[in-house]
Amino acid sequence: MWTGEGEAKVLYVQTHGVSDPGRSATPFFLAASAAAMDAEVMIYFTMYGPTLLQKDVIDKIGPKGDVGQPLRYFIEQATGLGVRLLVCQPSLDLNDLSIDDLIEGTTMIGGAAFNDLAIQADAVISF
Amino acid sequence: MSDSADQVVDQVLDCTGLQCPLPVIKTSQAIKTIEVGQILELLATDPGVEPDMNAWTRRTGNELVSINQDAGVFHVLIRRAR
Repeated sequence: MWTGEGEAKVLYVQTHGVSDPGRSATPFFLAASAAAMDAEVMIYFTMYGPTLLQKDVIDKIGPKGDVGQPLRYFIEQATGLGVRLLVCQPSLDLNDLSIDDLIEGTTMIGGAAFNDLAIQADAVISF
Repeated sequence: MSDSADQVVDQVLDCTGLQCPLPVIKTSQAIKTIEVGQILELLATDPGVEPDMNAWTRRTGNELVSINQDAGVFHVLIRRAR
């Protein structure tokens, strides 16, 4: 899934969800920064991570709860720079979500694809 | 590094008051709007701008011409190199 078009490949892993908003924005920040450095960047949402991508959540909460910028701001900052968002089916099940509950552009992958991305990446950064 | 006063600046990007990572993101977008060889001047108050711009220019292959701080504002001159 890496195109090799960037100067480097960076894979972020977000395991935290809506119950811990203070941990929601930084992976998007860092991913956006990496993309601005001409890296190819993906964020893999697993465990509680997929809850951050729900269509009906991204305008309601942000890293400081219901004050300040909402999640949509951080997500669009990253995706606007080419950052790709990935989820896997078991973590959707864990949170009683389906891919249709998540924002457009989220890509479903599986464990083998994740490990393949990690093996090929120059850096894997987990939150 | 040379003094910013003797450099011709082709474009100014005002990021004063903006926090990480916005100066980096806006710089990456602005550099694409000038020609190779031209100079972008970034104005920023984010205290991380010096290490960030060192890393960003090294990674992207653009040239960090100078960084000067004046009255709390960093003036960063970057020459588009590619």
